[in-house]
Amino acid sequence: MNIMRELGLYLGCVIPTEQYAYEMSIREVLPRFDIELTDLYGATCCGAPLRNINLFTTMYLSARNMALCEEKGIDLYAPCPICHLALTEAKKKLKENQELKEKINSKLKEEDLRYKGIIELYHTLDLLHDVIGLDEIEEKVEEPLEDITFAAHYGCNTIRPNNLDRPDDSENPQKLEELMELIGIETEDYPEKLDCCGGQVISDHNESALTKAGEKVEAVQNHGFDGMATICPWGQRMLDSKQDSSADTIGESLSLPVLYYIQLLGVAMGIDQSKLGLELNLSPVDKLEAIEGIEEVE
Amino acid sequence: MSLIDLTSMAEPDEEQQENIEETLEALKEDIPDFCYQCGKCTSGCEAFILLELEPHSIMGKSRAGFIDELVNSEEIWTCMQCFKCQERCPQDLSPVGVIFALKNLAVASGKEIPGGYQKMLQSVLGNGLIQQTKEVLNRANDTRKRDDYDLPPVPKPEDMNKVQQILMKATQEKLR
Ligand code: SF4
Ligand code: SF4
Repeated sequence: MNIMRELGLYLGCVIPTEQYAYEMSIREVLPRFDIELTDLYGATCCGAPLRNINLFTTMYLSARNMALCEEKGIDLYAPCPICHLALTEAKKKLKENQELKEKINSKLKEEDLRYKGIIELYHTLDLLHDVIGLDEIEEKVEEPLEDITFAAHYGCNTIRPNNLDRPDDSENPQKLEELMELIGIETEDYPEKLDCCGGQVISDHNESALTKAGEKVEAVQNHGFDGMATICPWGQRMLDSKQDSSADTIGESLSLPVLYYIQLLGVAMGIDQSKLGLELNLSPVDKLEAIEGIEEVE
Repeated sequence: MSLIDLTSMAEPDEEQQENIEETLEALKEDIPDFCYQCGKCTSGCEAFILLELEPHSIMGKSRAGFIDELVNSEEIWTCMQCFKCQERCPQDLSPVGVIFALKNLAVASGKEIPGGYQKMLQSVLGNGLIQQTKEVLNRANDTRKRDDYDLPPVPKPEDMNKVQQILMKATQEKLR
């Protein structure tokens, strides 16, 4: 695949407001695979968190963001699985229900927008694994990460529900593992692999959410993995950014390096670490000798 | 402030009431007789152990007509939205879908909803996203801002007021 492909970069809420390392690595790594990322400047929240309040609003916001991208005549890339699921659901429901689509379009008209339903949606996982493809990635690996074993964390919405076109299998996802092996990382399945990080209830059930995250990190640590790779900003936020508070909550000491897969890929491609936001991982990633030159941030 | 104050403006009560009743009816139709209370949904529920959420009992209670009790319960707000129950139900049912519908109903009936969701809604209405751009820490505990990393401006609607008005009305709409 050497044709330049243009995609609308739909970041959602959590990535552009706090998970800067994910965004930096995406902007750094993907163009090297001939992907041109176009920002969707008028975008808003995908609507997923508002499912709890009003499902119509979710549908409207998802359609609105897709319409913004359709207007540019390009497909959409949503690096957040929660956004990706909400958009996929809206796309499917609006295809099945023309009446609802018209109702939503009548609201979009107030902003001179129209949702047509011609858009394709991608997440980081299928974009890397299926669109760019393993061969193309392998060619760009310059410094494979050696002698480390990592656990995969997919994030619930990356794989479920299966009837809404998820990037990987709901019960036995393997694409992230394949992508890790491609850059030299060893990996293995583990019993807690599909466990939830608790991220969706963090505001109202803080302690339970941190317990979920802490227990998953603890399990991965006890299995002897050297670290964990994620592809979800909510998962990264719980397992990395909040690892210390999770440790306090469950009363265990946790020190597991957690990185976005795309950060690891960037490292393996020889990209300067400062461009991959590695100083922003709050878990002890500096423990990883496989990442050459990784420094303790002083 | 309840969500109704925040969103309804001059919506006539009668219409609101009709709305709620219709949703309730639709919800009843959705809660099928096919749930045979096998409990598989609850056995894998991510919120079962810590927050005592039992999706099978929500299915059971809804079918038995205890909608009002559920709408007023705290339990519907503990769901972690992992979709395992829907994925694994041998009868192809969606407990998580029923839970979303119950929450929507709670909101539409003007129930007090958990603070986190209120805040998110207010933020989306105010600036389009669930939270404002944050300052974060790096591993050395230094403060970092988005601007420190040469990233382009955060997306935002050109005319937020207009989007806000559309959203306020949208929160009064039903899916069908
Ligand atoms: S898994 Fe399905 S059939 Fe079994 S109790 Fe849950 S909803 Fe009912
Ligand atoms: S979606 Fe909610 S109810 Fe269903 S299994 Fe997950 S936490 Fe439980």
